[in-house]
Amino acid sequence: MNPTIKGFLRKEFSQTLRDPRMRVFLFVAPIAQLLIFGYAISTEVRNIRLGVYFSPGDTLAQRIEQRCLASGWFVPAMGPGEDPYRRIQSGRAEAVLIAPPGGLTRAMQRNEGRLQLLVDTTNMIRARGIERYMQMVIQQVISEASPGQEQKPVLNLNLRVLYNPGMQTSFFMVPGVMVMLVCILTILMTSMSLAREKEIGTFETLVAAPIRDWEILLGKTLPFLILGMILVLIILGVAMLIFGLPMTGGFWKFILSSFVFVCTTVSIGTLISTLACNQQQAMMGSFLFMFPGILLSGMMFPIENMPPMLIGIAYLNPLKYFLTLLRNIMLKGGNDQVFWNNLGILALIAVIAIAASFKRFRQTLN
Amino acid sequence: MSQISIQIKNLSKRLGPNQALAGITASFEPALLYGLIGPDGAGKTTLMRILMGLLFPDSGECAYLDNHQTVAFERVRSSIAYMPQQQSLYPDLSVAEHLEFFRDLYLISGKVFQKRRAELLHLTRMEPFQDRPAGKLSGGMYKKLGLMCALLQSPDVVLLDEPTNGVDPISRREFWDLLYRLIRQKILVIMSTAYMDEAERCSRVLVLDEGKIIAAGEPLSVLKQEKAGNFEELFLQRQKAGRR
Repeated sequence: MNPTIKGFLRKEFSQTLRDPRMRVFLFVAPIAQLLIFGYAISTEVRNIRLGVYFSPGDTLAQRIEQRCLASGWFVPAMGPGEDPYRRIQSGRAEAVLIAPPGGLTRAMQRNEGRLQLLVDTTNMIRARGIERYMQMVIQQVISEASPGQEQKPVLNLNLRVLYNPGMQTSFFMVPGVMVMLVCILTILMTSMSLAREKEIGTFETLVAAPIRDWEILLGKTLPFLILGMILVLIILGVAMLIFGLPMTGGFWKFILSSFVFVCTTVSIGTLISTLACNQQQAMMGSFLFMFPGILLSGMMFPIENMPPMLIGIAYLNPLKYFLTLLRNIMLKGGNDQVFWNNLGILALIAVIAIAASFKRFRQTLN
Repeated sequence: MSQISIQIKNLSKRLGPNQALAGITASFEPALLYGLIGPDGAGKTTLMRILMGLLFPDSGECAYLDNHQTVAFERVRSSIAYMPQQQSLYPDLSVAEHLEFFRDLYLISGKVFQKRRAELLHLTRMEPFQDRPAGKLSGGMYKKLGLMCALLQSPDVVLLDEPTNGVDPISRREFWDLLYRLIRQKILVIMSTAYMDEAERCSRVLVLDEGKIIAAGEPLSVLKQEKAGNFEELFLQRQKAGRR
């Protein structure tokens, strides 16, 4: 191996790993973030504070309340049974179900079954969940109460949940968080390390040394490529051991995709550092890329739902392809066509990023 | 061993709105210590950076001669050591690690490195501080480490941009002893300084002001010619003349 590159490797590793803050930033923070995102972020709606108002002896309404609380989605609303509207406004209840005067049982017999549901819609996602759950519960209770009137459905839906049979949110979230973490850490490490050399003036020494341009560039990027790949393995370990994510599509596909992606992000980091004079600017520049990159990756918000212009931008986003690859490889068995198509585009982006960063890097040298 | 001399002719360089160099002609011969003397903004650093090939002049020539034969800059580049004004060391790497990194940067073989390293550590009396991170060195030691890194490649030409700036008087004296040793090894040393008292210790001085050479030669004859007792006086005289 080229001794200059080896010297750079030794230097970058000891610099990066010696700094205690950097060690935390590299190894503790990603695991913590993965745990937080994987456990805490859940699209399921739970612990809905429900208040129910009915007159005594209204067995149907009472049964609805019992069924709601038994489902695990609802908890009883706090506080005394004051005015329903006030209860929602004060936040003690998120949903209030009000049976008609005279009782729901009697109203149903008169074919006037009307229930009022007040929902706090300040959080739209929760409100939709509440409405859906409530309809399911009420339907069940009603059909049980009047078995004779049960209507047979025209079609019986035979539902099979593929790739995530337990419907675990972590299966959906964790690959996204992996993409995000790898992207953030590699871009920040690379751009800040180069910017730091500029800031403290050592860059001038490197340029003045009798070594070639590509040796400086490779010497400053290869260590972060290696660190990035180590990070990928750590994150994968946490994802598989703690969240039980499967690896259905072959480990080599995962490693190959990660390698191409890390090459891309390290090049982008280099590109950012050529535009920055100090570490602060490098960090700002990195965030300028990372936020749209993460939001337009399909990690949380489906790209299909975006307006056409944003879809166009999302198709240039390397994070999108890496995320598709990860979900495909880890969850869906790594379908070859999906794999090669996305990897091909990702590799193309990588080549463009490497070429651009090398060109910009040489320009800043001279 | 090659002996490199440098000849510059009519060098001009504009940096932004400033005319940093305005037509400079000079020649630098081996085994001599040249001092670039002048106030801040005289063009000392710009001249250094052009000699090192970090900047290209707008006009004029910069020729490198190896034993009186003109050679391309690329050929001599590896035998020129440069110590920039802004000391550029890694605060978190130790003295020993710096030397190792620069060994890899300059492609020095293991054997040569061991010998050179021992020699330099001895010369600079830095042996006890090998494991100390550069960020924790004193100002003088920090400069010495910078010089060690520059000298590690056994250069024929040494360019030092204000090497004694911010160094205490005793360390400065040690530094000068080091420089004299270098000249004895037939090395061409060019240093810049804003300390006028240091000018008299150089073999030759180039007095720069506003991008022009206003005097050049042996320090004493320059002073005689300008009718000044020392270099401080010389600049003060010029300043007064300018105000008039």
